[in-house]
Amino acid sequence: MLEIKNLTKRFGDFEAVKDISLCVPDGAFLVLLGPSGCGKSTLLRVLAGLEHASEGQIIFDDQIVSDGQKNWSVDPAKRNSGLVFQSYALWPHMSVRGNVEWPLKVMNMPAAERKTRTDEVLNLLDIHALADRYPNEISGGQQQRVAIARTIAPKPGVLLFDEPLSNLDAKLRVEMRTELMRLHRTTGATTVYVTHDQIEAMTMATHVAVINEGRVQQFGAPSDLIDHPETAFVATFVGTPPNNIIPVTKSDEGYALAGHQMPVEPPSDDCLAMYRAETLKLVNTKSSRSLPMELVEVSAIAGRTMVTGLSDTLRLTAIVDRAENIRIGDTIQFELPKAPQCWFAHSGERIG
Amino acid sequence: MVNVTMRAKGRRAYFQQGTVLKIVVLAILTALIVLPLIRTVVFTFQPETIGAWGDVLRGRLSKNLFYKPLGNTLLIGGIVSVGCVLLGGFLAWLVVMTNVPFRRTIGVMATLPFMIPSFAAALAWGSLFRNDRVGGQIGWIQGLGFDVPDWLAWGMVPTLIVLTLHYFSLAFTIIAAALATVNSDLVEAAQIAGAKGRRILMGIILPVTTPALVAAGSLCFAGAVSNFATPALLGLPVRMQTLSTRLFGMIEVGQVGRGYVIGILLVIISGAFLWAGNRFISGRRSYATITGKGGRAKRFDLRAARWPLFGVAMVFLLASTIVPMIVLFASSFAPSSAKLFSGWTAHYWVGTSDPSFAQGIPGIMHNSDIIRALTITLALGVCVALLGMIVGLLVSYTTARYREGWMSAAITQFSFLPLLVPGIAFGAAYIAYLGAPIGPFPALYGTFALLVIAGTAYLLPFSVQTGRAVIQQVSGELEESARITGAGFIRRLAAITVPLAIRGLTAGGILIFVKIVRDLSLVVLLFTPTMPVMSVLAYRYASEGFAQFANAITVVILVISIVATLLASRLQAKSQPWLKD
Repeated sequence: MLEIKNLTKRFGDFEAVKDISLCVPDGAFLVLLGPSGCGKSTLLRVLAGLEHASEGQIIFDDQIVSDGQKNWSVDPAKRNSGLVFQSYALWPHMSVRGNVEWPLKVMNMPAAERKTRTDEVLNLLDIHALADRYPNEISGGQQQRVAIARTIAPKPGVLLFDEPLSNLDAKLRVEMRTELMRLHRTTGATTVYVTHDQIEAMTMATHVAVINEGRVQQFGAPSDLIDHPETAFVATFVGTPPNNIIPVTKSDEGYALAGHQMPVEPPSDDCLAMYRAETLKLVNTKSSRSLPMELVEVSAIAGRTMVTGLSDTLRLTAIVDRAENIRIGDTIQFELPKAPQCWFAHSGERIG
Repeated sequence: MVNVTMRAKGRRAYFQQGTVLKIVVLAILTALIVLPLIRTVVFTFQPETIGAWGDVLRGRLSKNLFYKPLGNTLLIGGIVSVGCVLLGGFLAWLVVMTNVPFRRTIGVMATLPFMIPSFAAALAWGSLFRNDRVGGQIGWIQGLGFDVPDWLAWGMVPTLIVLTLHYFSLAFTIIAAALATVNSDLVEAAQIAGAKGRRILMGIILPVTTPALVAAGSLCFAGAVSNFATPALLGLPVRMQTLSTRLFGMIEVGQVGRGYVIGILLVIISGAFLWAGNRFISGRRSYATITGKGGRAKRFDLRAARWPLFGVAMVFLLASTIVPMIVLFASSFAPSSAKLFSGWTAHYWVGTSDPSFAQGIPGIMHNSDIIRALTITLALGVCVALLGMIVGLLVSYTTARYREGWMSAAITQFSFLPLLVPGIAFGAAYIAYLGAPIGPFPALYGTFALLVIAGTAYLLPFSVQTGRAVIQQVSGELEESARITGAGFIRRLAAITVPLAIRGLTAGGILIFVKIVRDLSLVVLLFTPTMPVMSVLAYRYASEGFAQFANAITVVILVISIVATLLASRLQAKSQPWLKD
């Protein structure tokens, strides 16, 4: 079990991580998802023990490894955890085998056992043929595999990944995703994985914590985030395509969505309405529930069509079966369903 | 609620990360550098010596004691540092970034002047350009029948030329190291943006290397203003004084108080320049350019200018290295420097004592003083190089990894303090510091240990300067990833940081070895007959008129230094297969 209690990390006056609490069971695949600069990498570094917590506790397997109040911290090496760096941080003066083997040497593993384990890990990641090469002689994807091999060789109970796939091209990224999930099943290690890519989060995670500005916006299973977004940030950050958020204002005759009168019944006079992309329709003529938008994007997705319209700063995306005879730049009508899926206050939290 | 335990394998962080290391380093630097200097200052404020301040600054003699030497010193510092950055920067650019012919040869030759003690270059200048103004032997050119004007034979002009041709190689080393780290991606990104050669140089390469240019300029300035041997040999005979020759003269005639006051003023003046330079560098962001990924360099095509630029480079390199070496070598065989290349005799090398020749002084092979000095000098070089590398690495590691806080700033300032202190003053300070017993420790005057400790402290800025540039480039994540495996501080240094930084560290070690082997100004006061070193013997022979012995000893110093450097550069090339072109 991995538990984070009221964790705060400050650099001088700046709070990078604000009062975060999470708990996942052994063998979980926890993804910390958020935009760049949200504090997710800092949280990971505190988990790894590279930074000390300012407040709060981290507990691995019933043992406190960081305690901010008591300035208590277990050495990174004694946490039974391993970290894969974003830059891979392969030691350029050691061969692939050397990179994988060195942490085992530091552990004082006997030579024979060390060799067996190194070979095992190199085979597991399919890089045994590269064992004698140096990091600057292999490709980015191979470097990534070496970095992972090096980290899992000592069999850590907790595996930490800092945006490991962000330096890879799209095809390799998909392959490595599968590879990482296979590894996760093989090793059974509790995994904490930092990314800004919500697709990675949705496909790999058992648990996702969406983080923004140092705070957890929502913590749950991937399907929870899709089905029950708790904040407007989660609603727009997670899901492909993202949900549509339209501001609602009270007017003399009722309520207006993006300045157009609509027959809606919001729980508050001034709030945000969320509509899923698949509930929006394109209609030819203006109706009481349609918004005129300028067409800016059309793309085919899995046999359906994703259409995006723009009006001032409002951006709406619809998934429709067919979108014929329309061209970029046309004005088209997006028809909303009778009621939105849910409502958010302006501050972001869900109100209905 | 789970039952949470706090087992013994954790530890409480009483301090911020790095604090313990900082305290240790700061203590070492205080003992090595700060205490001797404080002792010197305290000395001048004793009741019997405090009058020296008035004599130097306001007294009847102050113009000759201080203000005229000050003017000469600043002139030398300014012109030499500008000249060194231009010349060193030009050569570094040629070697690192262009396809000039014989790049490697130029690179090796540009580091050679370091190995020529500046007193040797001054002696060589004398052997060539001396005229009959001050009597004694005349130089080769006068011997050929040409009339050498006074301004070319003595004083400011030869001092500037000799010092520039000496210190430019320091600038070259620093700038070349910085240029070598300019990732070719940066240059290619600029090329893609449409920038051409000059634009790339001015817009990308120059800004990225500005810290190195400033560091090079300030180090050359500091070296030139505190250099003693060159102005002493070329300026003193025509009464041109600098602050360092004044300081030496005062201490030689026993006016220690006045000498220290002049030394302190020199420290303050050159300190102001270095402080400005250091502030400029540390205020900038660091550019960590070596990451875990490889990079390939691409060279700037000089086209038709390749050979002309090669020619220009060779003129400076020959004048700074080859010509002085030939002159020294020839002069160690020639009975008269007016006829350098005729009537050669091997007496100064292998002759036994002969009352009719050189007042009965045996050749250096049979001279037990010189043999003993050679042994001591080599041992000193090795000890100081090792100790200097260890302390330099600790200091540069600490300041690079933990930049924040007043302690890091203090460490940086302390480690560069010796640069501000002329070698003679530093030597004198060490006599004041360790010359008498401190508590249970015995007095160290006249011991080998004193030479090693003083030499390590004095040359620390150079080991730190090299170490700092190197350590900063080994990206932090490489070391953190080692920390996560559980490797301790020493083990991380030994297995990760040092192997990656070995090129710079070896360069630093050689720099220190060569500097201490050929150093004169520091050891000239620590010298005792029981603990002789080569350079002081050479200087003594030269000032007593036995130029041939002086030059022969200098040739020995040169050979030792050059062999050491070539050996090290071979080792470097072999030990780093991951850096192959």
